Amino acid sequence: MKISAALPSGVSASFFSAAKQRRRLEQRLVGSLEGRDFSEVILPILDYLDPYLPMLSVGGRSELYRFIDRDGEQLALRADFTPMLARLIAPRLASLELPLRLFYRGDVVRYREFRPGRARESHQMGAELLGVGGEAGEREILRVFLELLRATGLQDLRVVLGFAGVLEAAAEECAASREEAAELLAQVQRRERGAFRRSQGSAQEALMQVVENGVPEHFDALGETAGEGCLQLQRLLQEMTQDFPEIQLTLDLAEFAQVSRRLPDSEATAGRSYYDGLLFRAFAAGEASPLGGGGRYDQLFEAVGAHVPAVGFSLALEQVLAANPEEASNSEETARNEVTR
Amino acid sequence: MIRLALPKGRNLATARAAFRAAGMPLEVLDDGQRQLRLVSPEEGLEILLLKDWDVPLYVQYGIADCGVVGSDVLEETAGDLLVPVRFREGRSRLSLIGRPGSLPKEGSQIRLATKYPRIARNVLRERPWGAEILKLHGSIELAPLLDLAELALDIVQTGRTLKENHLQELEVIRQVAACLVVNRASFQRLRGDFNRLFQSLEKAEVVT
Repeated sequence: MKISAALPSGVSASFFSAAKQRRRLEQRLVGSLEGRDFSEVILPILDYLDPYLPMLSVGGRSELYRFIDRDGEQLALRADFTPMLARLIAPRLASLELPLRLFYRGDVVRYREFRPGRARESHQMGAELLGVGGEAGEREILRVFLELLRATGLQDLRVVLGFAGVLEAAAEECAASREEAAELLAQVQRRERGAFRRSQGSAQEALMQVVENGVPEHFDALGETAGEGCLQLQRLLQEMTQDFPEIQLTLDLAEFAQVSRRLPDSEATAGRSYYDGLLFRAFAAGEASPLGGGGRYDQLFEAVGAHVPAVGFSLALEQVLAANPEEASNSEETARNEVTR
Repeated sequence: MIRLALPKGRNLATARAAFRAAGMPLEVLDDGQRQLRLVSPEEGLEILLLKDWDVPLYVQYGIADCGVVGSDVLEETAGDLLVPVRFREGRSRLSLIGRPGSLPKEGSQIRLATKYPRIARNVLRERPWGAEILKLHGSIELAPLLDLAELALDIVQTGRTLKENHLQELEVIRQVAACLVVNRASFQRLRGDFNRLFQSLEKAEVVT
């Protein structure tokens, strides 16, 4: 009988130089994180399902690989590092000295109908900074993220910055109901100009400017709180642009328009988001999906009983390697050494 | 230069007319009709000619920066793409089609033929009747005509084909329009060029 070498859709295996490349990249990034005093945590791939259900929307739950164990417990394969880390660190926090700088690496597994650039099994590396609130924490974690991007050696990188829920007040002002406001935010995120082009009123005009340019002409058109958030983002952007001139940093509130400051509830149909402050996402030219991203998620830690400010990010290493010119030059060899489906 | 994926199907004429009205005649399409990749330096465009159903994939992967695709295909392929503008012309409807009469009775189980199984599944979730979905690749109207299926879910433009085949548009599910879709990363890279392109199309009043 001939045994097939095929793999399920959306998973891959790396051999020889492809494996070597991934490990080399991983080591470079680990070196960069350890140089910043981040300590590694190793987390399991198999976990209970129950603790995460209240935090997951319908869409998030449908991505989980879950099953009933032989003893009747409901288990799930790891689909996200951060909620697991939050849950496990919460009871230990009282005995730990803050701030905590942690990093992790490993696979996450999510069921996805086949879509470009979205593997079902993805190798991630991420970092968490716990116990540094406000701008100081955001500045530090963004700096570490940009240093890691720099360490990848990628050219033509773009990082967009935003803020969770920053457009909600403007959308609610333009809409008659919460559902309508949610649809408006979806249109902003898809950059549908038709909905806002002939707009009247300052909130709608501001949303059109966000669709077009990522930010409104006047931040206060988004409401007082949102305006303050934008000013803070602008300060961060100026500082990071100065220190990382090779990375193009921009403010783009449309990119995160649907990220609410509220944790998704069981009624929500989409979203895995638990962010409630700064957001950032990195793109490489010509890549199907972002290389990674992160932000602030104090509320996630609060939801598991850990009252500590938390910021962090993750990078998808396959995406980084796919965008790497070194990888491109070895593409023929890589093709021979990778078994993918 | 923006790389634009154009569909070879019914939306090509819509896209060409809209671009022409916006001052971009895309004459390069007339010069090399057998070529699949054309460059129009004066318009700042490189054009790829693709099958309708492949356009979202090329744009999602970033091979093309943007593309023209029907909202029906876009919904069925469920890509994570920006949809900045929808074209005014060439609109149609995605409808349930069957023999003259009414929709299935509550609790009944039927067969439904379609090119759009994902959309069909979503439509069926809200129905009091069930259906086995048959995925077909073309001539969908034949299915209810020859009793392969009781219903079809397909595009209706003028309704003439239905009339000639004694079929009826039983329910309009969605309005369908050709859309200009954009890759997220490309938008970040070429935002200024894209905004100029969108503004030209809006000024020509060819988009909604």
